[in-house]
Amino acid sequence: MPGKPLIMTFPVTATSHTLADYRARGGYATLARVVAGMPQEEIVKTVTTAGLLGHGGAAFSAGRKWSVINLRDGQPHFLCANADEGEPGTFKDRWILEHAPHLLIESMLIVSYALEVRHAFVYIRGEFDLPYRRLAGAIDEAYDAGLLGEGVLGTGFALDLVAYRGAGSYVCGEASGLLSSLEGKRGYPRNRPPRLTVQGLYKRPTVVNNVETLANVTGIVANGADWYRSFGTAKCPGTQLVSISGHIAKPGVYEVEYGYPLAKFLYEDCGGMVGGRKLKALIPGGISTKVLTGAECESVTYDHQSLGAAGSSCGSGGMVAIAEGTCMVRLLQVLLRFYHHESCGQCTPCRDGTGWMHRIIDRIVAGNGRLDDLDRLLEISRRNDGTTICGMGDAAGYATVGILAKFRDEFEYWIEHGRSRCDGALEIAAHA
Amino acid sequence: MPEIFINGHPVQAEKGQTVLQAALANGFYIPYFCWHPALSIAGNCRICVVQVEGRSWCEISCNLPVTDGMRVLTDSELVRAQRKDTMQFITLNHPVDCGICDKAGECTLQDYHYAYNGAPSISREPKVTATKFHDLSDRILLDNERCILCSRCVRFTREVSKSSALGITRRGDESLLRASEDGVLDRDAYSDNVIDICPVGALLSKSFLYKARVWYLKPTPSVCPGCARGCAVDIWHRKPEWKLRALDPQQNTSIARVTPRGAQGPDGPWICNKGRDLARIFERPRATAPMVKGKPVELAAALANVRSLIAAARHPAALVSGWGSNEEFAAFRAAFGDTFRVHVKHDHRPEPGEVVEDGFLIRADKNPNVAGARAVFGVGADSPPAWHGDTDLVLVWGEGCNFADLPRGAAVVFLNAYLAPENGHADVFLPISIATERAGHYTNFEGTVQGFAACFAKPQGASDAQALFESLATVAVATP
Repeated sequence: MPGKPLIMTFPVTATSHTLADYRARGGYATLARVVAGMPQEEIVKTVTTAGLLGHGGAAFSAGRKWSVINLRDGQPHFLCANADEGEPGTFKDRWILEHAPHLLIESMLIVSYALEVRHAFVYIRGEFDLPYRRLAGAIDEAYDAGLLGEGVLGTGFALDLVAYRGAGSYVCGEASGLLSSLEGKRGYPRNRPPRLTVQGLYKRPTVVNNVETLANVTGIVANGADWYRSFGTAKCPGTQLVSISGHIAKPGVYEVEYGYPLAKFLYEDCGGMVGGRKLKALIPGGISTKVLTGAECESVTYDHQSLGAAGSSCGSGGMVAIAEGTCMVRLLQVLLRFYHHESCGQCTPCRDGTGWMHRIIDRIVAGNGRLDDLDRLLEISRRNDGTTICGMGDAAGYATVGILAKFRDEFEYWIEHGRSRCDGALEIAAHA
Repeated sequence: MPEIFINGHPVQAEKGQTVLQAALANGFYIPYFCWHPALSIAGNCRICVVQVEGRSWCEISCNLPVTDGMRVLTDSELVRAQRKDTMQFITLNHPVDCGICDKAGECTLQDYHYAYNGAPSISREPKVTATKFHDLSDRILLDNERCILCSRCVRFTREVSKSSALGITRRGDESLLRASEDGVLDRDAYSDNVIDICPVGALLSKSFLYKARVWYLKPTPSVCPGCARGCAVDIWHRKPEWKLRALDPQQNTSIARVTPRGAQGPDGPWICNKGRDLARIFERPRATAPMVKGKPVELAAALANVRSLIAAARHPAALVSGWGSNEEFAAFRAAFGDTFRVHVKHDHRPEPGEVVEDGFLIRADKNPNVAGARAVFGVGADSPPAWHGDTDLVLVWGEGCNFADLPRGAAVVFLNAYLAPENGHADVFLPISIATERAGHYTNFEGTVQGFAACFAKPQGASDAQALFESLATVAVATP
């Protein structure tokens, strides 16, 4: 990992994903302490106090999510790691799965112990080949070493862990759609209520956490809440694995402490833009977060509060840097094509709204746009916001609203002149 | 019982109800496409939105549990705006081909468009095209362009008929309703219910296709005679004020379609496919001429002949129709007392390929009123009847009797509605009316008594069995 990792501090080598290497750097020692008799409430309390937030996009407190689970309701509970990392621009969970699968497994064992879970799942996206092989290999190793299955480390605690491969759908990364898919059904998200922590997988209380969220648990339980709070800001403790791509000199996965100045990260850690161009825009956390202009990036720090104040969010940590010269009209076309293609089609606003927006942007790019089409795009975005079963309908709107609010002049130029105002030298390949 | 406030009015809701259920039960209408009282909640159409007072957003009422003191608005400005938005989304790719759609006139989408949108489309984009006239099964056509993907039909085949024959393939606005390819829907004995619950004209009955505009039809309450379940149905036929004169006058007296009648009967809101095909049962060539030994005669002459046969008989027996109404059984009993030794007959038996009995609605007894006959005559259907050795006259009422099984040498009086070779073999033949031509009651196997009304006039020459029994009475009617 380039940069200065804080939590993921181990060296990445050809064998760093194996059980032997993981054990050599202290792996599964925390689990041993936990299963030796750590009170379940203490684990939940430590993680809640540490202020661990969800790293998948919604940034909900992990401890508060867990505290809904009633340990003594007599029902089976399930834990599911969301490794369906489908948000465009995001590939941080892949890094964990490839290089530290045992960190995820140990964390899932600890969380399962704390939440009375007997069966846990990793829902991994079908396109992840090496990550799946690494994870499946690690699960086999863990079973062979007595870390999974009956009698974990010789205690009465038991956990079975299954890695389940998705078939490549964006909405299956939404927690309830993920569970529908895991049950073997069409990957349709579900209406709330009931919440998944009340009725999730097979209608049982289920916790779905992002891979990176879970991966942080072992460190927190091992070193305590204060250790985790020593990173980041008071309101936003910890670090985030940021996967940066686009027109950036040194793309890759970085561990960024919350509160880190964004400009410093972009220009010092990541080496600035390719070809010495200027930063035109930045997608800070996956394409569903609102885009920031280059100027806005100068003053913000990387944490939920600062990015929130700038009208965006950390999202899933999938950063895309966009250099000067990139056509934002074609960028939006690519994004809307994605949302249209990935809409599951279950509920009306997203099913029809995403297709509608995609056809409008296609028509604009084809040179047949009208100025009021831009208002129509904003109108459809507004209609999708908060009216759908899951958040994917909102996401298509956020991307549109974010780009149109800051780069409307480029769209107006295209509509008037029938072509892009940008030189196109660094464009993302447009697909019809 | 939680008390909630709908548009400011206090309403007593039941625990566990949703806002939509509580509102509908108390006379507040909330529109809905995908919700159905007998199916699970899908929450995908997004038209049933309501606003909880004090919140700046809307929620779908079909999945919103009532809580005590909850205050909801069903017609706030935000609700109206969001409903209109949703209607524009739903009609975005809908072909609006109401002019050639069988559902027009009873279409939820049409009604809601006028109620909640009313504006022309604001889209400039071409509509998404999809398959039309897609063969879903041997009974059902699918128009994917009209489909609004509410998934009611999918849930019906999963939750009610249990065939799981339908599902949705592909994604987004290219999603398509499809049947599983191994003909499961063909074998689903309840498949046609999906046509009724389709809120738009996407699922079409092949037997009703282009047969009539629904506003020219009227439903007459009836009882399905297809089995001992006796599902309450509506028989749809042309309104008397819209009779066709020149074109195909046959349509004036034919059954256009059969639908389940609300949730009033013992059947819930469903019926089986056999009940949809009552035309196949009733619309067969009819017998209209009374006959004596195969020769057409006047009704009076035939009746005189029957009277003398009854008078001469020493051991008369009767095969009473399992398709008779309770009124007809009572008239038979009043007219003949104990003159006849009565056997109750199964007029219809399971046909080859027909579902004999399932655990849901379909019963093995394919006659509507054996229970009613048992109540009047004290005997059930026995097959073959245990004939008394000296039987010298048999009154056969209705179909399903092989004359070769009758006692040798016995005279036969035959009452039948349809043309059949046996009609001419009887000593006396009397043509009678069918259930769509008279009113009456059936008692189903559970003892539920349900009435049916006449849809059509009976053909010239046919008589109601009840009138025949009354005119043949052998028991003096006691005058008070």
